[in-house]
Amino acid sequence: MDLITKSHIEKTGRQIRLLAGLLFLTLFFALFSLGTGSSNNLGLVPTMKIIFGLTEPTGLQSDIIWRLRFPRVLMAIVGGVALATAGALMQGCLGNPLVSPLTLGVASGAALGAAFAIILDFSFIPEVAIVANAFLFSLIVVGVIIRLGSMRSVSAESYILVGIAITFIAGAIVSTMTYFATDAQLSQLTHWSFGSLSRPTLTDSVIIGFLVLSLLPMGLIFAWDLNAMALGGDDFAISTGVDPRITRRNILILSALLTSIIISFTGLIGFVGLAAPHMSRLIIGNDYRKLIPCSAVAGALLMLFADTVGRTLFAPVVIPVGIMLSVIGGPIFMYLLMKHKGGMGV
Amino acid sequence: MMETPGELVRGGDSSVILKVENLHFRWGANEVLKNINFDVSGNEMVAILGKNGAGKTTLIKCLNRINQVNEGKVTIASKDVSKMPLLDLSKSISYVPQTVRTSFPMEVFDVLMLGRRPHVSWRTSPLDKDVVSQTLRQFGLEELAFRRFDRLSGGERQRVVIAKAVVQDPSIYLLDEPTSDLDLWTQLLTMDTIRNIINDSRSEKSAIFAIHDINIAARYSDRVMLLHEGEILADGPPEDVITRSNIAKVFGVECDITQATNDRSMNVVIGKPITKRM
Repeated sequence: MDLITKSHIEKTGRQIRLLAGLLFLTLFFALFSLGTGSSNNLGLVPTMKIIFGLTEPTGLQSDIIWRLRFPRVLMAIVGGVALATAGALMQGCLGNPLVSPLTLGVASGAALGAAFAIILDFSFIPEVAIVANAFLFSLIVVGVIIRLGSMRSVSAESYILVGIAITFIAGAIVSTMTYFATDAQLSQLTHWSFGSLSRPTLTDSVIIGFLVLSLLPMGLIFAWDLNAMALGGDDFAISTGVDPRITRRNILILSALLTSIIISFTGLIGFVGLAAPHMSRLIIGNDYRKLIPCSAVAGALLMLFADTVGRTLFAPVVIPVGIMLSVIGGPIFMYLLMKHKGGMGV
Repeated sequence: MMETPGELVRGGDSSVILKVENLHFRWGANEVLKNINFDVSGNEMVAILGKNGAGKTTLIKCLNRINQVNEGKVTIASKDVSKMPLLDLSKSISYVPQTVRTSFPMEVFDVLMLGRRPHVSWRTSPLDKDVVSQTLRQFGLEELAFRRFDRLSGGERQRVVIAKAVVQDPSIYLLDEPTSDLDLWTQLLTMDTIRNIINDSRSEKSAIFAIHDINIAARYSDRVMLLHEGEILADGPPEDVITRSNIAKVFGVECDITQATNDRSMNVVIGKPITKRM
């Protein structure tokens, strides 16, 4: 075999082992997180025994693990995976390192929907008003993206600018509504905007898990196209057999859906979608075929870590994961950026 | 091959691969290309000469659908380019832009691997990797295999992008100023490598390259197309097209043309600019 081929295969092997290691670490941390919390520190081994059905838990233990912590841990993993994947996909197809899942305005749409439910008591599905509103309003933004994508000469910048415009518009409407809100409503809306993993139930988190899992492979399919677009721009992509306009639109629709599914349930969580892809670039490089899975795992780990710290640090007070992500992830992110002399391309 | 850059061998006669009929292209009201007609056969290398703004790049981009033509038709092996799926088109044509500016930190090996993208579904096999490795050697790029593309010099990047086009294994190469960033030796090496690929009688590949260096055009092409103000002024063998009067008319420069003694190639000795451009 050719020597260059051989070293490339060895390198790919190392990257896959690294990815497997990161995945293992995440699963291990998930188990640890299940056993840790404000009320009942079970310890790692007893938790594992309960999870794998080796010991019969007491009623209280069973409730804590399965009804309280499991949905939360699952949601952290699924949310981290979805938001980080969306972030990596979007940074790639818009060719911009500043992009996060919040850039497109999907989250602002969701916030507007939540505000409608909380302040105006307006909803299409009253039983799950906030979630349903957040999701439906973010779908309106997805609709705008689809509309924009059907235009002939839409550029990457157009998407970002329209996203910013949507953010301003939705923000202004929400601000206006807060004038008419009661203190209780204001507090609820503020709490929503922190982003929290405590809302989804076991059923919610399993359904979201399946949804995200079914959308993820589509992200991987775009990996080649992203490589071509990121490397040489649209002309280069076309000559490699990629239609940049259609690919960009499809990727953005996928990312917007992933984002809105999560954010509707958790509230605003943004940082993981910006930071996890960049951290992954440092770990595994920029080839999107590896970067997308690595971002997904890194996103899950980051969310799990932030949430576990958030609910143990000042126990029994639980600090929402959105806040913890920025508090913990921000400095790590800045440190990495400084260490690599600011050099993180897209 | 690396020891003797610059040796000249011309291709033989083959069937028509690319056909351009009545092509017009406009940017708004500005008609950039007017009624362009030409054929390119297998094993043929065609140089496009013309001054800045003559439409060389625009023409090249019309051939692989980066530019959508307003009128006329481009066919590859009798298939209409405008109706081909992009993925099929990229198996027939690969395009080398004049420069690829990027901050995307991808390794050279993976850049070349992008050339396999039209041929593989998702996973690449060791065979694909071998194609990449061999092409790296062919262009003398093996030292750069695991270097970051965004940190290479302009000339190195240009060779990498040309090598990526070769990995793509198309029947037609479109090269926009393929030697603009290269030193003299590398210019000859690169053009030799392309010439050898085109000459290979086991396949019928052809290349169209836009170029400013008249001597490179003369040395490596079977045919020269002189593009002037959006129209083809002359199209034929280098010795017929590259003449004192044509050079004066298109470039506004005096020149002497001498025939090299040891082979068929000609040398254009550039003289003074003519004060008034015609």
